[in-house]
Amino acid sequence: MKHFVLACLLAGAMQCAQAANSEEDWQVLQKAALAARALSYQGIFVCQSGQKTKSVQIKHYFDGQNEFGHNVVLDGTPREVLSQGGDLVIYNQRNEKVVIEKRRGQNMFPAILPTNLDLVKTSYSVRSGDTERVAGREAQILFLEPKDNLRYSYRFWIDKEYGLILKSVMFNGNNQMMDSIAFNQLNLFNTVDLDWFKPRIDHKKNYVMEDEVPTKADTNISPHWTLKELPAGYRKVDQMIREVHGKPFPVTHVIFSDGLASVSLFVEPLLNGIKPRVGHSTVGNTSFYSNVAGYLQITVLGEVPEVTVAKIANAVVFVK
Amino acid sequence: MTEQLSALADDEIALKDAEYLMAAMQPNSHSAELWSQYHLIGDVMRGTAALSPNFKQNLMQKIDLEPTVLSPNAGWLNQNKADKPSEEMHRKTPVTWSIAASFAAVMVVGWMVLQTQVGDTLTQVVVAEAVTTQQPAAITVSSAEQAVSEQAIPTEYLSAHQASAPTASSYYIQSASYSE
Repeated sequence: MKHFVLACLLAGAMQCAQAANSEEDWQVLQKAALAARALSYQGIFVCQSGQKTKSVQIKHYFDGQNEFGHNVVLDGTPREVLSQGGDLVIYNQRNEKVVIEKRRGQNMFPAILPTNLDLVKTSYSVRSGDTERVAGREAQILFLEPKDNLRYSYRFWIDKEYGLILKSVMFNGNNQMMDSIAFNQLNLFNTVDLDWFKPRIDHKKNYVMEDEVPTKADTNISPHWTLKELPAGYRKVDQMIREVHGKPFPVTHVIFSDGLASVSLFVEPLLNGIKPRVGHSTVGNTSFYSNVAGYLQITVLGEVPEVTVAKIANAVVFVK
Repeated sequence: MTEQLSALADDEIALKDAEYLMAAMQPNSHSAELWSQYHLIGDVMRGTAALSPNFKQNLMQKIDLEPTVLSPNAGWLNQNKADKPSEEMHRKTPVTWSIAASFAAVMVVGWMVLQTQVGDTLTQVVVAEAVTTQQPAAITVSSAEQAVSEQAIPTEYLSAHQASAPTASSYYIQSASYSE
């Protein structure tokens, strides 16, 4: 009996210690999310997705109130991303033209974690691993593992001094690497001038604004369809009406997120004479699923396992 | 020419724009042979079951066994069919034969059109038919679920997804529509 009580106490204490550990690990991630936004740093990181690899030069500056970023893709076709807060301007070279695209920015490396981790905590658990050197710096490895099969897992290498994410790798359920981003050079700076915050203009090229893809926020609840139960941990984060290339009518675009991964749902009416699209696939880190609900064409895709896109597609119910 | 045939087989050219291709596909021509080869390749890639061996013969036999409802002696034929099928065969006039033949032709042409228009699986054809016959209740999610097959990710949706919900790598590594 005595032994049993002792064993229970020991087990309880271990569980307590584990919970405390994981709370510490969450704090490390929280700090990483803030450090990526509140530090001024520059370096080069390498981004790999599927068969493609790109090196990117990054400079990020925080003046105490605003964030400024300038990212230059060093491999292949020139491409630059300038960011101020959440607003992005992308200079995308296509043949003899440079197309200027405007976007809303989010989760740009190394700021891939949201500052509020509550939603992430409901779907993932965290544990720490070894320390390793990345980009010449000491890093703590943290494993962010999903609590179910509805999302991929992540491994982060976090700078022990700066708190920044130095390397991030996403794995699927079979422990295959889906994509990775890692600094191979990083240092902090504290100059205050913003001379560098401008694109490298090539005077021989013709600069044009991208044909604006009209989108507008959609707050109306459609009378034609409704969503039943979503896969665990996913929340609707945005809904808009947008034009999709090649579609005669605007399409409803709904975005879901579990705090890290995003899934897009497109709902549009089936058109006479156009064959309904029914199918699924996974290419690289992106899963795709489309089916038909009543008179509606449903299309879902995102950087999540196929089961998640299928569940979201099947959550759409046609209302007669 | 071969590229256009391939595009037509993949449903990338509208049927109305391909009349000259149809005209080129005379029976026993090289184009007709390519046309059937492209469909065979497509079917194999999609994993669509091929038609059963002797499809045409089986179909003709089934049609022969069907009661041919023709007035005024249709009732008489039906009456005798059950007990004297062989006699019925003998009584078929050239008129009924030609009707059976044209029905078979319609079946085959209809099947080809459905293959090109709707594509992958038989269940999809069922979905398409249900849509055209205005019976939304018939298209349940489960029937659509059974019908799903491997498909490429449509780039227009991928671009829209990446524009509004980008991942950390999609800023630098672009979807197919941006291919360099």
